[in-house]
Amino acid sequence: MSSKFKVSHLYLWLVFIILYAPILYLAYYSFNSGETMHGFEGFTWHWYREVFADTRLLIILMNTIVIALFSSVISTILGVIGAIAIHRLRKLQNQNALLSLNNVLIVSPDVIIGASFLILFTMLGIKLGFASVLISHIAFSVPIVVIMVLPKLKEMSPTLLDAARDLGATEWDVLGKVVLPFIKSGIFAGFFMALTYSLDDFAVTFFVTGNGFTTLSVEIYSRARQGVSLSINALSTLIFLFTLALVVGYYMISRRGQNNSAGRKGRAVDWKVPNE
Amino acid sequence: MNQLLRMLLLVVILGFALMYGASALNSSEGFSGANTLTIYNWGDYIDPDLISEFEKESGIKVIYQTFDSNEAMMTKIEQGGTTFDISVPSEYAISKMKEENLLLPIDKSKLPNLKYINPRFMNLSFDPNNEYSIPYFWGTVGIVYNSEMLGGRTFKSWNDLWDPSLRNQILLVDGAREVIGFGLNSLHYSLNDTNEDHLQEAKAKLNKLTPNVKAIVGDEIKMLLANEEAAVGVVWSGDASEIMDANDKLDYVVPEEGSNLWFDNMVIPKTAKNVEGAHKFINFMLDPKHAAQNAEYVGYATPNAKALEYLPEDISGDKRFYPAPELTSKLEVYKNLGKKMLAHYNELFLEFKMHRK
Repeated sequence: MSSKFKVSHLYLWLVFIILYAPILYLAYYSFNSGETMHGFEGFTWHWYREVFADTRLLIILMNTIVIALFSSVISTILGVIGAIAIHRLRKLQNQNALLSLNNVLIVSPDVIIGASFLILFTMLGIKLGFASVLISHIAFSVPIVVIMVLPKLKEMSPTLLDAARDLGATEWDVLGKVVLPFIKSGIFAGFFMALTYSLDDFAVTFFVTGNGFTTLSVEIYSRARQGVSLSINALSTLIFLFTLALVVGYYMISRRGQNNSAGRKGRAVDWKVPNE
Repeated sequence: MNQLLRMLLLVVILGFALMYGASALNSSEGFSGANTLTIYNWGDYIDPDLISEFEKESGIKVIYQTFDSNEAMMTKIEQGGTTFDISVPSEYAISKMKEENLLLPIDKSKLPNLKYINPRFMNLSFDPNNEYSIPYFWGTVGIVYNSEMLGGRTFKSWNDLWDPSLRNQILLVDGAREVIGFGLNSLHYSLNDTNEDHLQEAKAKLNKLTPNVKAIVGDEIKMLLANEEAAVGVVWSGDASEIMDANDKLDYVVPEEGSNLWFDNMVIPKTAKNVEGAHKFINFMLDPKHAAQNAEYVGYATPNAKALEYLPEDISGDKRFYPAPELTSKLEVYKNLGKKMLAHYNELFLEFKMHRK
């Protein structure tokens, strides 16, 4: 029994090593005083200083994060509304039809979405820049949020809503005090998925950037033609730490949320753990 | 619910704070939004100090954006929705953009520094009289080789590639014009040759090269050569200088029969909003000191004759990247051969790729 336990642990470790090794390798070389990733010559903060001295790169980084935050907030709101709307449809057939339309957007290639947006924006005479990037990021994130939220809604027992209504809750109360708290984890998951999608999207953004507004993925890609300098390693390490901090923050929040709700028995929030 | 609202508020506040930070950083350089110049250039293709110097000198705020291929850049400009004032396409892209009316003519009376450009790089077939474009950088196609791996062997001529001892040692860039071009060059024909017999002869000769060819690859050729996966490569001089930076055992040569001469030129796209500023910028980059500084930073060859005086001797005297006049006169710029001929080149190249060893 105990040996089996160890093997599974070993496997888990192996997977994690494979997942994290490239990132650690990249982070390791961000401290290299040499010019390339072929051999470590000595420790230096040079590349980090270079990142912070490069105002243009910093502005691009900030733009990237701003776009990611705004687009994921807006698409989370839209996605939750969309998921609730799909869930409320009476006919299963209609639900499936809408869901398939939603899935088509997820599986269609980024390049196609990007090119379509480029054509749409130029047809409407919208200048390429902040707005065009934001709109397209929202557009490709909404279907993802819908997909993350919908299962949570399906999980929710209809009797819960009936009970709330029987106790005199208005539709708004039902939504704010029963439905949203119940699907909270789905909403957070959708938000973070949208955030990562937006942060790393290249293909769509590539088409719709313009007029001096650009994001990190597009910038790094066009720099790669000249060979990527180690300051990109430094930048990537910083972003990795930033996302790590976000995830840890999310973990803390959800832990605290669970503890809180566990302490307040009898509320609708506790539906998930009724036997505790 | 409260938690959701708190989270929402937090994210929105963070977003606005960052937005404010970005715009503060942007305006910390002390420019108003009114007088700007948008430059669309290859990634890392200009010394950033030159941009700040230009901003200081002219009072124009520069917005700098990058692209990675002529095709991508052309698509953006063609579609509109952008206001690029300056772009830097390669020669074949310039003739295409001209055909499609994507460029504004350049007013040479506003470019007093144009006189410093070596006349050899002016008035070329892709843009007669330089009506629409001003030279920025130039380079060649040649052979990169690792003589250590080949026992001290060196290269001088395209024909050296056919040596049986090089079996499975050569990497080629995946470009029809480049490969058919050196096939023609090795037979002492022009690389713009459209004579069917010459082309067939070149293809037959290239077919004989197949045992030596290890692979025909794209941009990864730089990495493969630097990591000594192969001993010889046919590449552009810009790539060559990068490969040699990464691995100093390698050397570059422009074969004596002649080769391709390529250009990246500055143009003003028709979407430009600040044509006056664009001229100022072009003139600024034509200043010999600035051109020299830029050439030193980027590592490509400058077409500015006077700038060579400001470059360190080990750069301007490097015959590999600034070939001697006897050789430069043999270099040829790709002519726009027309759609039909280009398709024929592509077909011949495909047949060569499919040829069995």
